[in-house]
Amino acid sequence: MKGSLANSVCFMNNVYIYSGNFADLLDLVFFLITTKRKPFDIVREQDVEIRLLEERIRPIYQEVNTKKKWDKIVGKENTFLCQMAFRSTYTHKELAIYYYLLNALKYWEHTKDMRRLKCVNKILELAHYVRHETHKMKGFLRFKEMKNQWLYAEMEPENDILELLVPHFKKRLKEEYWVIKDVKRGLFAFYDRENVRIFSDNEVKQLDILEDETEKQIEKLWQTFFRTIAISERKNLRCQQNFMPKKYWKYLIEMEDTNEENT
Amino acid sequence: MLYFYWVIQMTLQEKLKILADSAKYDASCSSSGSRRQNKKGLGNAAPYGICHSFSADGRCISLLKILMTNCCIYNCKYCVNRKENKVPRAIFTPEEICEITVNFYKRNYIEGLFLSSGVIKSPDYTMEKMIETVILLRQKYHFHGYIHAKVIPNASEYLIKKLGRLVDRLSANIELPTEPSLALLAPFKKSENVESIMTLIKKNKSASFAPAGQSTQMIIGASKENDLTILERSSYLYREHQLKRVFYSAYIPINQDKLLPSLKIPPLTRENRLYQADFLLRFYGFKPDNLLDSENPNFNVLLDPKTDWALRHLEEFPKEVNRASYFELLKIPGIGPKSAKKIIASRRFFKITLNDLKKMGISLKKAKYFILCDGKYFASMNILKRSFLESNLILESKEKNERESCQLSLFHE
Ligand code: SF4
Repeated sequence: MKGSLANSVCFMNNVYIYSGNFADLLDLVFFLITTKRKPFDIVREQDVEIRLLEERIRPIYQEVNTKKKWDKIVGKENTFLCQMAFRSTYTHKELAIYYYLLNALKYWEHTKDMRRLKCVNKILELAHYVRHETHKMKGFLRFKEMKNQWLYAEMEPENDILELLVPHFKKRLKEEYWVIKDVKRGLFAFYDRENVRIFSDNEVKQLDILEDETEKQIEKLWQTFFRTIAISERKNLRCQQNFMPKKYWKYLIEMEDTNEENT
Repeated sequence: MLYFYWVIQMTLQEKLKILADSAKYDASCSSSGSRRQNKKGLGNAAPYGICHSFSADGRCISLLKILMTNCCIYNCKYCVNRKENKVPRAIFTPEEICEITVNFYKRNYIEGLFLSSGVIKSPDYTMEKMIETVILLRQKYHFHGYIHAKVIPNASEYLIKKLGRLVDRLSANIELPTEPSLALLAPFKKSENVESIMTLIKKNKSASFAPAGQSTQMIIGASKENDLTILERSSYLYREHQLKRVFYSAYIPINQDKLLPSLKIPPLTRENRLYQADFLLRFYGFKPDNLLDSENPNFNVLLDPKTDWALRHLEEFPKEVNRASYFELLKIPGIGPKSAKKIIASRRFFKITLNDLKKMGISLKKAKYFILCDGKYFASMNILKRSFLESNLILESKEKNERESCQLSLFHE
């Protein structure tokens, strides 16, 4: 290393580690900004093994639970946008959030209009994407009724939206018992007609998922309706697929036999 | 007697097949605009619409769209269910409709119910049956999801009022753009009748009476009206009756009749142009006579109405995006309300360039021909000529076409 560069170089290689949840990320960003440290990257604990070359740092700091503080200093809308973007699967979302918040300190409620900033554009894009998928999933989720009267739904969304879906179904299926499972993330939301609780795979014992006999009949009714309601003179499969991308078909029972049944 | 025996023997599957099939031509699908809360029961209405699926024709499925029955004592020329057609007929009992609705709703297949019907015995008798169904659904099944009901033409006022208090949206179809066409093809329906139903609904609309407002539907291409007449009619309906939506439904040649045109394929492009123009009326501040006149009473099938208009008014372009007002921005082909708002929000902080527009996710395919960004035109100014632009834009829109025609099957409200 050349002498004059030494300082900045050791700065640049620093990879900061956080637990993987949003509140902790906010704490870390707060620490980084107040101590004027520039991260080379910010990664989740569980992703650490993959990175060998950089200096890994898990700082210890006093400030915890800075969410409220952030709400105050940059405005709720900005933290909300970051929280949404955080639910996406974008690899550099932490860094984008860091830079977004850094700029939010300066531009406050105007931050989201500063689209020339890559971090702003990115966060808005991600937040939009997450919200969009949540909205779609409110329509595409499919419940099956189980023997014990529970409604059970599985889904594989791209973004981590389970928590965002819960309030909607809580209002809608208020008097039912239901479970929604995010299959890929191994997360369950349980609703017992009062509260929703979220569990991960290892906390949940084998679920008793036996379909009720009448279930197949109702599914068949739905498939009949689905097929009948299309106007054949207006057939437009490309359009159908635009709105209902293939990645969601797996759990859409009406799409089960699409390929054979091309009527 | 024999006939009724046969009706009763049908399975639910068979009935659903017949009664969804005969309801499918109604274009309305949206489920938005209502905030019905879940008070100890099943369901609520989301103020923004939700699509639960998309059928093979690319249309959104939001509601269980069915007829209570497709038996009908009338003989409207354009309708599959008209009396003289030999099609299988069925009748749902109120219980059956409730069962299907509730079961579908619980599984999150639908947002609610769209209930219409052919006329059995009399308009009032039919309405009473529909009301019975909806009461059962709301009271016995405690269903608080979305319900859109069609008013049966010529039904008594007190029945319309009763139904209105139970549903989220109540509507009457205007069916055809003008009275003479209606007299010719559906003699028992009178447009002043339809309008008096609309007036009644408008007067009574409140949080507890059809809170999501009303819509209507016009069949396009079954009668002779031109696009200007149709658009003027819609614009009148929006103004007079505060309709939420006018749906246009390309006539699908199902019946043979000397009074009907013999089309091979439904006029889908025309329908598409009318929807586009309809948006321009509602959200962009255009008037029908801005878009069309007696010399050009029909839309250009090759270009969307706004682009077509812009090409005829090149003297207004190019517009400087850093200065143009909101409504001026909306006149630029390819720029809609969302993009216009983004532009206005951003330009307070910096001078917008072409690149900035791209970053905002604004499609420049059409827009670039009509704008200046900080004084700069995207190419040399001498291409700003009608003949030049036209050839480019027609190709651009060919590429975009599929996506565009998809957009309209959505429920923008
Ligand atoms: S009244 Fe309705 S169902 Fe009966 S023929 Fe006319 S349009 Fe068809």
